[in-house]
Amino acid sequence: MLYELESVKKIFASRTVLDLDRLELEQGKIYTLIGPNGAGKTTLLKILAFLDRPSSGRMIFRGQPVKMSEQHLQSLRRQVVLLDQNPILFSGTVRKNVEFGLRIRKMERRKREQRTKEMLALVGMEEFIDFDSRGLSGGEVKRVALARALALSPEVLLCDEPTANVDAENQEIILDTLERINRQKGRSIIFSTHYLSQGQRLAHHTLLLQNGVVSSVDNPHIS
Amino acid sequence: MDLLFDSIRSAFLLLLSGDPQLFEIIAVSLKVSFSSTLIASVIGIPCAFVLAYSTFPGKRLLLTSLNTLLALPTVVIGLFVYSFISRRGLFGPLELLYTQKAIVIGQVILIIPVIMTLTIAAVSRIDDRFRLTALTLGANRYQMAGVILEEARFGIFAAVIAAFGRVIAEVGISMMLGGNAKGFTRTMTTAMALEYDKGEFVLAVALGLTLMTFAFIINMLFHFFQGRTGQDAV
Repeated sequence: MLYELESVKKIFASRTVLDLDRLELEQGKIYTLIGPNGAGKTTLLKILAFLDRPSSGRMIFRGQPVKMSEQHLQSLRRQVVLLDQNPILFSGTVRKNVEFGLRIRKMERRKREQRTKEMLALVGMEEFIDFDSRGLSGGEVKRVALARALALSPEVLLCDEPTANVDAENQEIILDTLERINRQKGRSIIFSTHYLSQGQRLAHHTLLLQNGVVSSVDNPHIS
Repeated sequence: MDLLFDSIRSAFLLLLSGDPQLFEIIAVSLKVSFSSTLIASVIGIPCAFVLAYSTFPGKRLLLTSLNTLLALPTVVIGLFVYSFISRRGLFGPLELLYTQKAIVIGQVILIIPVIMTLTIAAVSRIDDRFRLTALTLGANRYQMAGVILEEARFGIFAAVIAAFGRVIAEVGISMMLGGNAKGFTRTMTTAMALEYDKGEFVLAVALGLTLMTFAFIINMLFHFFQGRTGQDAV
């Protein structure tokens, strides 16, 4: 099992935004998270990305209990990457952005350059490698952010509305990339979306989140 | 007005003549101001970062106190430091009074609040997604701090420049703790005050022009660098 969450709650200013009795997510699958605005999708993704701590409850990741110390969370973050709904690129070139995570993992320069080129090619952005990140469109930023995340070969890729505010062409590239990395590399993917059709196309399981409570709906289109 | 224009003309001639006394004063001023700005930056920038990103009881009070210290008169700092480094003071045996080190100590106290408050403002303006992005890409807290500092670099440079401008133009601390000793602790501002007292405006105006020129050059360099990297004005 990839994730096991038991009695996980998140409370902001005495308001319960997430209240999960039990949630189990399998390795190597694609999950889509649907629900109205304010349902707790982003909060759940941040908790799964170890960027936020639950107010209470127990989490198990790949069979190991999650300790909420900063040191342990940091080591877990090396296996999981969250792609923000409105991703932000660091100032500098596209290359510098994609190399960021590889650099801090002390990857050798030649391998780093090769990986960067491969990942940019995967999202169709290889010709932008030396472009200034501030000159990119919204869709291009999302694609570079996706390449930056995939460069780290994470066990789990979490995406918060990966196709929101992008045109149809960029949507297709992003969805196709997610589908390929799951099929070819067996990466687990959990993404939130407002589009049921995207869930039906990609996901093995659909999770419906309403008022912080999750209910699972199996997707009949994917075996 | 004639007095002013005559003084300006004579001041230019003095500057062009390469008067050693004038350049000695400029050198002392720059040495002291650069030293105090460097020390205050090394202390102030990391402290500001920690303060901006930590939560603890009394943080708001501390920030208010820092803001209050921005208005601290130089003579108050001069008196405060004097009480420690005078012969009867706690650090009297170190014989710091009327040395350049004494001026640097006073100026560091003067500009640490400037650097800290402006750095806190610069860091706080940085979108929180930079922090979260760095963390999700596997950065530890120091690497994450590096990302934030890089994104806030222009605001931090502006803080350092503002601090340098404050110390190079101050007179109270330099006079009280340096003693305006010729060739040793005489800075541009204390020399200007002395020349004014003597009714000698030429050297005072020449120093004033030099002071303004330095301020202009530093700001030009800052904007040039900012322009090369294509950042918006801070």
